[in-house]
Amino acid sequence: MGKLVAQAELDIERVIDRYGSMLFRICLVILCNEKDAEDVVQDTFIIYLTTSPTFHDQEHEKAWLITVATNRCKNLRRFNFIRKHMDISELQLYCNDVENLSVLDDLMKLPYKHKTVLLLYYVEGYKVDEIAKILNVTASAVKKRLQRGREIVRHTYRKEKIIDGI
Amino acid sequence: MEFNKIKNAVNSIEMSETMKNRIKENCNVIEKEKPMQFNIKRWTAVTCAFAILLSLIIGIPFINKNGELQVAFAITAYALSDDDHQLNANLSTEKATFELSTEDRMDGGLVSVSGGGANLIFTNVMLNITGEDIDSITYTLSTGKFVEDVTLTAQERANKDWLISEKINFITSEPGSDISQGIKEIGNSYTVNYDEQDKYQYTLAIPHDGNNVIVEDVIIKVNVKYTDGNNEQQDIVVTQESNLISLKLK
Repeated sequence: MGKLVAQAELDIERVIDRYGSMLFRICLVILCNEKDAEDVVQDTFIIYLTTSPTFHDQEHEKAWLITVATNRCKNLRRFNFIRKHMDISELQLYCNDVENLSVLDDLMKLPYKHKTVLLLYYVEGYKVDEIAKILNVTASAVKKRLQRGREIVRHTYRKEKIIDGI
Repeated sequence: MEFNKIKNAVNSIEMSETMKNRIKENCNVIEKEKPMQFNIKRWTAVTCAFAILLSLIIGIPFINKNGELQVAFAITAYALSDDDHQLNANLSTEKATFELSTEDRMDGGLVSVSGGGANLIFTNVMLNITGEDIDSITYTLSTGKFVEDVTLTAQERANKDWLISEKINFITSEPGSDISQGIKEIGNSYTVNYDEQDKYQYTLAIPHDGNNVIVEDVIIKVNVKYTDGNNEQQDIVVTQESNLISLKLK
């Protein structure tokens, strides 16, 4: 029994090492709050441990973790929408890419449904139908959200450029 | 607007090692508590499935058509017919029925050596066991005796004391022949080695009520001793149906 527990500990540590940062990024962008993001990542791995799901491959495992994490984020936002959002100075603590910090800030200010699809599409490289499966929505809804998300980001970006006088 | 910038910006976010270790620690605590929580369900299901499978694999060959535990050996009842054909019946799968041989013996002029003796129904039924790793077989008859048909010379036939000492209680007189047939009493029980069954051609002799009807159902207990020292027992019920005798497993 001791060996089994030790093996399971190694397994969960492997999963955290592999997917922990990826989940934290997604959760941080969606929730805009470090503590909430950590809570959701923690909850996601606990669900992983307690349900012990079986996967066809690593891609399946990754998609499952993203689905659980984004659902948890959605629930947390629903019940905790007045939580203070992280401002750009706090964001610097986590984001090493200082040049694109403002892009990240723009992304975080997007509505939940738009930034989630943008994250999965541009950052995680999922295709439209794969995002549809992960978020349990239709492919056309994903396309619309992508389109609208891009428009908002472009619009905000342009506005910032004008303000900055570039 | 280059959306690749989003990718670079997001990918530059790193979870701190402190946070990662905190998450790992919490997960390990949950992991240690987990076996008592849901292993009960999982292992119960697995154990039940395994037990059912095992009982099916092991149990089915040992359960007979009546749903009772079946022994690992087969009993064959056999007898020679008038035309010297052997009649076989596997008692594990069917009921065996044979004609009585009392009249045949009486027609042959059967006489009691001592002048008395119980009224007996004679049969030509013999038993044979087949199975693996069997050392010996012991047959025990609840009522009656096992008997053996023996061939006697004229000299032996004339020696009454010898006949009695050999428990040859009945002889048939065959006029004009030096050879006679005798019926030797073996007793109500005998043991035979598995490999020597052919040497023991013992048949059943069962007491009757005076009208050639056996008084009650007779039980033959067949006890098989295996080479590993284990024993198994199977009972055979012997009943009479008119001029026939039937054997079936109890």
